[in-house]
Amino acid sequence: MRQWFLLPARLWTGLFFAIPLCIVLAYSFLTRGDYGGVELPWTTESYLRLADPVYLGILWRSVWVAAVSSLLCTLLGFPLALFIAKSGKRKVFYLQLVLLPFWTSFLIRTYAWIFLLRDTGLINTVLQALHLISKPLPLLYNDGAVLAGLVYNFLPFFVLPVFASLEKMDPALLEAAADLGATGWRALWRVTVPVSMPGIVAGTVLVFIPCLGSYLVPDLLGGGKTVMLGNLVQNQFTSARDWPFGAAASFALLGVCALLAALLLRNRQIRSVL
Amino acid sequence: MNRRIFLFGALAAASCGKDHRPRLNVWNWSTYIDPEMVKAFERQRSVRIRYGTYESNEEMLAKAVTGNSGWDIVFPTHSRLAPMWRNGLLATLDHKRLPSLHNLEARFQSPEWDPSLRQGVPYMWNATGIVYNKAQVSAPARWADLWSPALSGRLTMLDDPEDVLGICLLKLGYPFSSINEAQLGKAKVEALAQKKLLRAYLNADVRDQLVSGDVLAAQLWSTTAAQAVHGGAKLGFIYPQEGFPLYCDCAAILRESPRQELAHEFLDYLLQPGVAAANAKVAETATANAAARVLLPSDDVLYPPLQAMQRGIWPPALDSAAQRLRDRIWTEIKSG
Repeated sequence: MRQWFLLPARLWTGLFFAIPLCIVLAYSFLTRGDYGGVELPWTTESYLRLADPVYLGILWRSVWVAAVSSLLCTLLGFPLALFIAKSGKRKVFYLQLVLLPFWTSFLIRTYAWIFLLRDTGLINTVLQALHLISKPLPLLYNDGAVLAGLVYNFLPFFVLPVFASLEKMDPALLEAAADLGATGWRALWRVTVPVSMPGIVAGTVLVFIPCLGSYLVPDLLGGGKTVMLGNLVQNQFTSARDWPFGAAASFALLGVCALLAALLLRNRQIRSVL
Repeated sequence: MNRRIFLFGALAAASCGKDHRPRLNVWNWSTYIDPEMVKAFERQRSVRIRYGTYESNEEMLAKAVTGNSGWDIVFPTHSRLAPMWRNGLLATLDHKRLPSLHNLEARFQSPEWDPSLRQGVPYMWNATGIVYNKAQVSAPARWADLWSPALSGRLTMLDDPEDVLGICLLKLGYPFSSINEAQLGKAKVEALAQKKLLRAYLNADVRDQLVSGDVLAAQLWSTTAAQAVHGGAKLGFIYPQEGFPLYCDCAAILRESPRQELAHEFLDYLLQPGVAAANAKVAETATANAAARVLLPSDDVLYPPLQAMQRGIWPPALDSAAQRLRDRIWTEIKSG
C-alpha cells in the first residue's frame, strides 16, 4: 500500500529531476554545436577544460564568497533564532516576519537592494541629507553589496533549522547549568550552542549551497564585475553557446554540493532537524 | 432527446466551434511588433496568427535547429542568418511574392551579409555607441575616451563579450571581430585597465542610472539610449570615430514551414509603410524601411548621419573555436 502512495512523488522526481539530470550529464560529455546545442562525438574535453586556472579561480572564489556568507549568516542568525525561541507567545509572529520576504520574488527583492545602495539610493540620500557624508558612498557593485544580498536572501534558511533545534531543547538543561553555578554566558556557550549544533551545521550548509551556485545576486549587485560558478554556467548556455562546458561546470558545482549534503546526512542529529 | 442525439449534437457544436482558418506561427523578439498590426493582418486575410516572443538569438536557435520547432517566421540577427542558411534552416525568399521589398532603404536592399536578399528581410536595426551626460562631461568622440580617469566610478560598459572586446580591438586599431589571439590578448589588457574605472558591466539596467545622473558615460545600444534621451534627461549619444557595431534583425521563413505562401504574404505585409512605421514606434528602434521612416519623427540617436553610418560595422558570426577563445578571454576579464 505504502508503495502506491509514494508513486506520484517518485514519478515526479524521476520525470522532472532524475531524467533532466541524466540529460545534463550526457551533454557534459558531448561536443559543442556551432549554434548552441550539442553534437557527437563523446568526449571528456569539457571536464579537462575545467582544470584551467581561470575556472579553478572562479571555483575558489565561489567557495570563498559562500563561506563568508555562511559565516555572516551564523553570526546574525544564531542570536535571532535564540531570541525567537525564547519569545514565548510571540514566537509565531516573529517566525512569520522571518518568512515574510518569501512572499515576493527573489528577483524583486534583489532589485530593491539596488535602490537602497545606489548613489541616489535611500542610504546615500539620507546620509547626505544628514550631512554625514559629502559624496555618495560607493555601496553598489562591489563584494560588500554581493555579500549583503546573499546574506539577506539566505538568512531565513539558517534561522529556521537553528530555531527548530533550539525549540526542542529541554529547559531543564539550563536550569541544571544554573544550579551548578554557570553564568548566563557560560550556559549559552557550554549548553545551548552544543545542543543546537546540528541546527547550526544544517543551517550553514543550507546557506552555503545556494550561495555557491547563485548567479543573480553577483550579477545584479556585483555589476557583473565578478564571476561566480553560477554566472559561468549561465554564460555558457547564453552568449558563449557552449552547452557541454556549461553542463560540465554545473556538474562540478553539483559534485561539491552533493559531497557536502552526503557528509551532512551521515549525522543523525542533523538529519532530524532537516 | 435521447443520449445518442445529444452526443451527436454536442460533437457537431464542438466541431463548429473549431477555428478552420489557416494558422501562421510567428516568433519574434519581445515588444518588436504593434499587436494591432497582427490583428489587422488576421482580419484582412482571415487567418489566425500564433504569436510568440523570445529574448535571445540563442533561445530561438535552440528550437529552430531541430527543424521541427513549429514556427514559420523568426527574426534572427543578421549575423545568425548565414549559419542558419548553411544548416539548411531557412527558406529562400521568393522576391516575386515580396513586391514591397522596394520600400526598404537602399543599403538594406543589398546588405553585405546577404547581398541578394535570399535569407531574410531586414526589419529593425540598432547600433552600439556612447551615451553621456551633457551637463557634467564634455562630449566624447572616440571609444578611447572611455578610458578617461575623469569618468572613474561613473562609467559602465555593456555586459556583452562581443561589444566590449570589439571596442577594445577598435581602440587598438584592430578589426572589431578579430579572432587573432595576439590581438585579443592586447584587447584583454585594455579591458582590464578599463575595468578599474568601471562602475559595472550593465545592459538596459543602466538607463535609470543615466537619467538619475549616477552614471556619466556608458557604452550602450542606440535603442536603449534613445529611450533615456527621450526621457528628457540631459543626455547625448555619439557614434565613435574608430567605428561601431551595427545589428539588424531580419524576418526569415523557416524551411520547415509548410505555409511558405502565407509566410511570404506576412513578410510583405510587414514591409507596408504604415505597418512598418507602427511597429517601429512600438519597438522604439530604427526601421530598415525607408517608406516607413518618412512617416516617423526624425531621430538623431536612432538614425546616425550618413557620414557616421559609413563607420558602421556589421559583425559576422564567429566559428566555434573563435567563440571559445573569446569567451575564455571574456571570463578572464570579468573575473580579473
